[in-house]
Amino acid sequence: MTLPANSWRPVLFGALLGLGVMALALIPLLSRSAQVAYAAPPATQQTVPGQPVAAPQQPAQPVLGPDGRMPESVEADVSTRSVAVTSSFTGTEIIVFGTVEHSRQPTAESGYYDVVVVVDGTPSPIVARRKANVAGLWINANSIRFDKVPSYYAIASTRPIEEIADPQVLDKYRIGFQSVHMSAAPQQAQLAPEEMAEYRQAVIRLKEKDQLYQKKETGVAFIGRSLFRSAISLPANVPVGPLVTHTYLFKDGKLLSRHSNSVMLQREGLERYLHNFAFEYPIFYGIFAVFIAVAAGLIASTLFKRGAH
Amino acid sequence: MNFYLPIAEMSANIFVFLGMGAAVGFLSGMFGVGGGFLMTPLLIFSGIPAAVAVGTEAAQIVASSVSGAIAQYRRKNVDIKMGVVLLTGGIFGSAIGVQVVKILRQIGQFELFVSLTYVTFLGIIGTLMLIESLNTMHKARGGKQVSARRPGQHNWIHGLPFKMRFHRSKLYISAIPPLMIGAFVGFLGAIMGVGGGFVMVPAMIYLLRVPTNVVVGTSLFQIVFVTAATTIMHATQNHTVDIVLAMLLMVGGVIGAQFGAVAGEKLKGEQLRALLAGLVLLVCLRIAYGLVVPPSELYSIGGVLGGH
Repeated sequence: MTLPANSWRPVLFGALLGLGVMALALIPLLSRSAQVAYAAPPATQQTVPGQPVAAPQQPAQPVLGPDGRMPESVEADVSTRSVAVTSSFTGTEIIVFGTVEHSRQPTAESGYYDVVVVVDGTPSPIVARRKANVAGLWINANSIRFDKVPSYYAIASTRPIEEIADPQVLDKYRIGFQSVHMSAAPQQAQLAPEEMAEYRQAVIRLKEKDQLYQKKETGVAFIGRSLFRSAISLPANVPVGPLVTHTYLFKDGKLLSRHSNSVMLQREGLERYLHNFAFEYPIFYGIFAVFIAVAAGLIASTLFKRGAH
Repeated sequence: MNFYLPIAEMSANIFVFLGMGAAVGFLSGMFGVGGGFLMTPLLIFSGIPAAVAVGTEAAQIVASSVSGAIAQYRRKNVDIKMGVVLLTGGIFGSAIGVQVVKILRQIGQFELFVSLTYVTFLGIIGTLMLIESLNTMHKARGGKQVSARRPGQHNWIHGLPFKMRFHRSKLYISAIPPLMIGAFVGFLGAIMGVGGGFVMVPAMIYLLRVPTNVVVGTSLFQIVFVTAATTIMHATQNHTVDIVLAMLLMVGGVIGAQFGAVAGEKLKGEQLRALLAGLVLLVCLRIAYGLVVPPSELYSIGGVLGGH
């Protein structure tokens, strides 16, 4: 059986188109089932377990301070509980705001209290590499693996944190880049401390360059005697996952109270479909990519052939 | 207008990548080459992770080769049997290449390896092309007849076993050399994010002695299948095919190629080859520069692979 030279083309085209449409229709289906993997955003107000708590938890019965007045405490919330990373995501800003209960400061400008807001991203393992010159070429010669490094870390305060409290206090609550928790993988424990410190500095420097680590020394402002707010910017490249915001209330270098909130940062829309598709069903994703490529090539060749007539 | 690339995990201006696709498409249309060897370094220079550049480029090469392959097939310029032997080797080589990419990424040496293969191959090919085209120009000025193909003579390849008859190519040779060449080109393609025509075409002409009229069609034919397999393997093994980025490059590329083809018709073959050689050497030098100049930042950080 011989077909005219041109007759196979529409058939092939139709078949491709049909398969392409089928593949397209599959995406939402596939990602809907994958949606289950995403846990519902956790409760928004919580204290972080496992971290040392210095200030006494708010007792059920209010206890008067030694001076016969109610002790101060801080309460805070975030402008948004969940941030959607969509295909048009170019970064966003979240507002952390709160009040000082039983505030004793006379005015917003008095500087009576110090507030520090820390926003922590999900800890993730990373590899830091250092280049060295080997036979004239600059190549990655050494590397170290950190099991847990916050993927995002922003700090905002009413004034530079060094003025707010002693380094030991800051370190205890992991406030400031120097106190960011980075645990090296066990097999690298024998590394010289100064070398380790260099890697740490490099990680912080690189994360700062990507705006994933940020510091705003006057990023928290009191609006009234007790109300304060802070704008935290999330860059376009912010890794998805839950963010935890910690709000600390200091007075004369002592922590009076603290409060934690969480913000869910997750992929949404097309961005989420494609990402799930690529990671949950890689083989179909690969085949889909090839279909798109073949279809693009065929459409282009027919379009431009017609244009040439 | 910005778009978040799902696999590269970065927000990118879509016009930058459309433009990049169009520019490389123009050059590949003009010179009649795939353009992968230009696109992959450009993507890496623009901040796309090297492995994502390579995986995504494989998908784009499928798009840019498929229409050419069909056109060649219609003109009966494809030796299907030879193509199948080449692509069998090619898929095998590509599978090895994809695994090598995976291992090199884990130990943090992929960028270096890509750079070194680019410097090596672009250096060799660019230099050979430049010499050849300058010679041709020189001879043409002298008024001598220019012959691209040397008279066929028997070489060691004809002594190998497993001989097969390739009717379209009018050849009776062992299947081993085409399998080896296919595997080598498939391996290079998987690692460099190229179709590999720049190695395949000379290898077919000078090693296998395939007639020039079927060389380009057969090469395109096997490139389509091998890069399609490479795309799927990169997607499954390395998760490095960014469909959004690939589509931007395809759209830019097919449009650019149409204008490039028109521009290419206005230049002589040897002039085109000299220009292309210059371009290849420029890219080669730019990559070599990045390897030898002391970097301003010695450190880099990356995710731990395998624990996604």
